[in-house]
Amino acid sequence: MILSDLLDAPVHDGAGRRLGFVVDVRLVLDGPLDGGVLVAPRAHGLLVSPRTSTSFLGYERTGERAPALLARWLQRRHRGTFLVLWEDVVAADPDGVRLASAYRRWSPALPEP
Amino acid sequence: MSPRLRRGERPFPPDEDLPEPARPAGLLLDARLHLLDRQVVDVDEVPTAIVDDLELTESRDEPRTLLVSALLSGPVLGTRILGGRPPSSRLHRVRWSHVAAVGTVVRLGVHGDQLDVLWVERWLRDRVIGRIPGGRHDPE
Repeated sequence: MILSDLLDAPVHDGAGRRLGFVVDVRLVLDGPLDGGVLVAPRAHGLLVSPRTSTSFLGYERTGERAPALLARWLQRRHRGTFLVLWEDVVAADPDGVRLASAYRRWSPALPEP
Repeated sequence: MSPRLRRGERPFPPDEDLPEPARPAGLLLDARLHLLDRQVVDVDEVPTAIVDDLELTESRDEPRTLLVSALLSGPVLGTRILGGRPPSSRLHRVRWSHVAAVGTVVRLGVHGDQLDVLWVERWLRDRVIGRIPGGRHDPE
């Protein structure tokens, strides 16, 4: 699978209700070392938004507030964005992502390093 | 128009305060925000490629765990505008084990000359530029 297969894919819950679209994949650097110097990134979760465009700037998940007008407009466009953890993903393919019935929604905010 | 849920279709109120998940031990990166379209430089700081996509592979040891196994680079401009994706034979892989650091650019711990991703540049250098008089040495 490649990342583009997941990006913009529709996300449905266990009952088949459409929740939004995958706008990004959150990775965590805690995978195996595999002979390199940096551990492999592991899929931690999916960021799901009601709309697909203009999320690439990340204003809805970072503390970035400048330029103020752009930041406010983009945060407003992506209200309702949430994170679902990879454990809650039952199936993920280019046709869409299906979540477990008992999935949980989490804040999309990206913690400061 | 890009796909979106209309206001009436949205299953949740938009201004909910959601809880923060437990923070995992490693550094968190958002793939599109922190990796896609980043410049890749080799160990000598020579620009080598652009991260156009990522290869995701299920872990051999832990089923249901998805790992980034390679950076992919190739001709994706057309498919980003028109949709679809280039055939996998057109995408060049740079194994994640070559990656030394991720920041504003992605730094590799190897020389770019060793990577398939630069074969076009090597071919042009050897077959075209190198045959032009003076093309095999620095300008004097």
